[in-house]
Amino acid sequence: MSLTDGGAEPEVTVRDERTQEFVAEWRNASYNCYSSGHKFCREVCPVMQVTRNESWTPTAFHANVVAMERGELDVADIAADYVNCTQCGACELRCPNTLFTGDFYRFRTRTVDVVKAVRALAVEKDIHQPKWQSWNERTDERTHEPVLGDIDISQERVRDWAADLNIPIGGESILFVDCEAAYYRTSVPRAVAQILQAAGYEFGLMAEQWCCGGPAAEMGYVDQARRFAEHNLADWRSVGAKRVLVLDPHDYISFTEDYPKYFGADFDIEVVLVVELIADLIRDGVLTPTVPIERTITYHDPCRLNKRKGIWKEPREILRAIPGLTFRDVDRVTQWSYCSGGGGGLPIEKPELTAAISAGRIAKAADLAVDTLVSACPWSERPLSEAGAAQNIDVIDIHELLAESLGITVGGSRS
Amino acid sequence: MTLTAERVDTVVHALRRVLRDDQILTSKTDRYNRARVPAPFPVHRWAERLPDLAVLPESTEDVAAVVRIANELLVPVVPRDGGTGLTDGAVPLRGGIVVDVKRMNAIHEIDPVNRTCTVGTGISMLKLNEQLAKHGLIYPDDPASYPCSLVGGRIGTSGWSLIGARYGHTRDLVLSFDHVLPTGEVMHVGDGVGQKITKSSSGYQLKHLFMGHQGTLGIATRATLKLFPKPEAELSPFWAFDNYDDAYACVGDLARAGVATFAGAVLFDEHKVAYLRRDDEAYIPQPSDVRALVCAVMYGYEDEVRPAGKRLLRIAQSHGARYLGDEISEGDWAARHDRYATPLHGRTGNGQVVPMSWHCEDAAINYTHLPAVTREWHDIVAGLRRQSDVFDDWGMFAYTSSDNGTDWLTEIDVGIWEQQLDDRAWALWVQAKRDLAAVSLKYHGSISACHGSCREGEVDLVPDELGRGFQVMLDLKRALDPRNIMNPGKYHLDRAYS
Repeated sequence: MSLTDGGAEPEVTVRDERTQEFVAEWRNASYNCYSSGHKFCREVCPVMQVTRNESWTPTAFHANVVAMERGELDVADIAADYVNCTQCGACELRCPNTLFTGDFYRFRTRTVDVVKAVRALAVEKDIHQPKWQSWNERTDERTHEPVLGDIDISQERVRDWAADLNIPIGGESILFVDCEAAYYRTSVPRAVAQILQAAGYEFGLMAEQWCCGGPAAEMGYVDQARRFAEHNLADWRSVGAKRVLVLDPHDYISFTEDYPKYFGADFDIEVVLVVELIADLIRDGVLTPTVPIERTITYHDPCRLNKRKGIWKEPREILRAIPGLTFRDVDRVTQWSYCSGGGGGLPIEKPELTAAISAGRIAKAADLAVDTLVSACPWSERPLSEAGAAQNIDVIDIHELLAESLGITVGGSRS
Repeated sequence: MTLTAERVDTVVHALRRVLRDDQILTSKTDRYNRARVPAPFPVHRWAERLPDLAVLPESTEDVAAVVRIANELLVPVVPRDGGTGLTDGAVPLRGGIVVDVKRMNAIHEIDPVNRTCTVGTGISMLKLNEQLAKHGLIYPDDPASYPCSLVGGRIGTSGWSLIGARYGHTRDLVLSFDHVLPTGEVMHVGDGVGQKITKSSSGYQLKHLFMGHQGTLGIATRATLKLFPKPEAELSPFWAFDNYDDAYACVGDLARAGVATFAGAVLFDEHKVAYLRRDDEAYIPQPSDVRALVCAVMYGYEDEVRPAGKRLLRIAQSHGARYLGDEISEGDWAARHDRYATPLHGRTGNGQVVPMSWHCEDAAINYTHLPAVTREWHDIVAGLRRQSDVFDDWGMFAYTSSDNGTDWLTEIDVGIWEQQLDDRAWALWVQAKRDLAAVSLKYHGSISACHGSCREGEVDLVPDELGRGFQVMLDLKRALDPRNIMNPGKYHLDRAYS
C-alpha cells in the first residue's frame, strides 16, 4: 500500500456527503500530522508568534480535520480559526514529515492546501467571514481587489500607472501587474517596466487585465477565482501572449500552481518571474547598475518566493550587483520564521495580526542596525512600511532600488 | 466536558473579572486542541479528555487569579505549556480549565555577569537561545523536543537533557521560579532564598518537590535559569560495531572515562539498527555487518575538545569500533531533533508497510542491567506484535544520564498504527506499559528518567517504586491542594482524599 493510503475506515459517519468527500480527501494528510504531533512548526508560524494561541497552529489545522472525520467537529465549528494563516508555508518546511520522508514518498506536509480546502468548504456551505465576503464581492464587481479602501477601483484605471511609459498592448510577453501594485504601490510596476525597457526587453500589457483570482482562491471563493483565471487566460490568448512576466510572488503562485490546476495541459503560457529575469539580464551584462546607493539594507525573503518556491538566490544576486549598498543579509532558513503578515487574506480579516507580524519583522531588521528593508513583494510592502515608519526603517522594493541604481527616475506612488 | 453549561457560564463570568475576553477560550476547537499531547491515544476517545475551557494568562498575577477562582469554585485546573510531553501531564482527565502559559514568553533579564537569565515559562529553549547567542551564551537544556517544548513544561516534568552529562538536567539548570500553588498563592522557590543561588543549605530543599509533579502541585510562571558560554567546538563521533556486546562495552567505557567536555553518549541496539536500515529512508545505509552503533558528543573550547576527542576515539578503537567519518557524525548529530519524529510508517507482522506514529517508553537503568532490560523489553513488544498488527518494534536507545556512567535513560521506540488503535489494542498497550515498568523495577531502576510516570499503565507501579515515599506524596498533595483542583486524576493522587 502507499503511505498516503490510510488505514482503517472511519467508524463514525460524518454529517453530509460533501463533508465526507472532504475528509476522505484530507484525512491521511491530516493523520500524518496528528499522529506525530511534534509541533516543530509552532515557533516558525508567524501567526503563532504573535498570538501564542495553540488553536491557530498548523497542528490544530490538521487535527481539526481528524476530529471532523470522527464527527466531533463540523466545518461551522472550525471555519473562523482558519482565518489565522498567511499561507506562508513555513510549517511545511519545518515539518519533520517533509524533511525526512519527502524524497522517499514524494510526500510533504501541505498545510497551505489544507487551509485553502477548509476555507473553500466553508464558503461552499455558506459560512462566510464578513470582511472576506465583502472583499470578494467588491472584487467581483470591480474585477480588481479594493486595495484603495473606500475609494472604488475602476477597471479603466488598471493601466494608469503606465500612462507615460509607452507600453504597447499585447505581444508575446505580457507584464502582469497585481492589484496592489497597479493601484497602490505603482512605483513597483513603473520600476519593472523601465528596467525591462532599459534592457531592451520587449513586452506589452493586457487588453483587459483582471485580478489574478489568487486571493479569492486563498480565501475560499474558488468559483470566482476560476472565473477570473478564465478571463485572464482568454485575454492573454487574444493578444498573442506566449509568456507572462510576473512581478508579484502571489501572482507567481496563482499562475504556476492554480492556473495549471484549472486548465491542465491547455495552460500553455510560460510564466516568468521578473526578479529571475532581471538577475539573468545582470548576469549576462545586459543591465549594469552603476549609480551608487548609499544605504544599509537587509533583504526580506518574501514567503511565496523563499518558502513556497525556493527562490532566494536571484534577489541577493541583484542586491550584490548594486554599488554602494551595505548588505546585512539574513540566511533564507532563518527567514522561514519571518513574514510580513500580508498574505492569505489575513490583513483583510485581522489587520491587527498583520500589523503585529510586520512589527516583529521590522524589529528583526532594526536589530541589524539597517536603514532600509528591501522586499520583493508588493503585498508585504504596505504593512512593513507602516511598521517601518515607527522604527525609522524605509521599506523599498527590490525593483525600485535597482531602477534607481540604473539611473531611472521611477515615479509613481509608494503609499 | 465535566461541567454543566450553567457552571461553565459561572466560571467564565468569574474569569472575566480578572482576564480580557480574548484570554478566555471556550470554543470547541479551542478545547479539542488542548486535549492532546503527542503520545498515542485512541482517537475515538478524544472527547473524554476535553477541558471545559482554556485561558491564556499573561502574567503570574493572571495565573494566580485564575487558580484562586478555580479553587473557590472547585473547578479542575490543568497547566499546559508546550503540550509535548509523553505522559499526559497536560491532558485534562476531569475537564476544567486548561491554563495555557504560552503567552508568558518574555525574557525579563539576561545577566551575563552572574550567568543567569529570567524568563516567562512559556518560552521555548530554541527561541531563548536565539537571544542568548547575541551574548555568547547558551541555556543548555536539550530535550528531543527542543524546538517546541517550553521552560515551564520542563519544570513540570523535571525534564531530561540529551547533553545533561556535561551541563546537568532541568533540575540543575533551573535555579528558582515563581510558582502558583493550588490555592492561588504565589511562592518563589529555589535553593534557600531562590533567585540566582545555585546551592543553599537553608531550609528544606523545596525546589525538587515543585519540579516533575506533572502539574499536580501548581504552575511555574517565571524562572531564573543557569547559563553557560556558547560552546566554541562540538565533536560528535559515530562508531559502528558488528555486535551489541562490543558496543555496550564501549559506550560504558566512554561514559566512565571522566572526560570533562563529555556531554553524552548514545547506544543504538541491534533492533534499532535493523529498523533504521529497514524503514528509515533518511538513514545512510551501513554495511550489513553493522549491528550496533554508538555516538558521543563533546562540547567546549577547541583546545579542550580536540584532545578529549582523541581520547574517546582511542577508547572506541580498543573495543573494535569503526569510526563512521566526519560527514555522517556531524550530519546525524545535527539532525537529532528532527529525528525525534521518526518515519511515518512501520510494518505489520507479515511485513506490510502501514502508517504508524512513534511512541517511546523510557526508564532509568543502571549500566550493568542494560542488556537484561533491553532483552526483556523487546520480548514484551514481541508479545504485543503477536497479538496485534497495531504495534511495531522500532528498537532501543540507551543514553547517558550522568557524567560518570551510573544510570542510563533507556528507551524503546514503538510504532503505533493510531488509526487502528481500538479499545482492545489500547488495553494491550496499557498492559505492556505495566510490564515494561515492572521490568525496570525488577532491575532496581526507575520507571522514567525523562517523561514522567503518570500515564495509564505505568502509573499503577509508582506506589511500588516509591514505597513509603508514595504516602508522603499523598500527604503533601493533600496539604498543598486541599480541594484537589490541580490536575486531578494524575498519579493516583485521588487516594490522598479517600
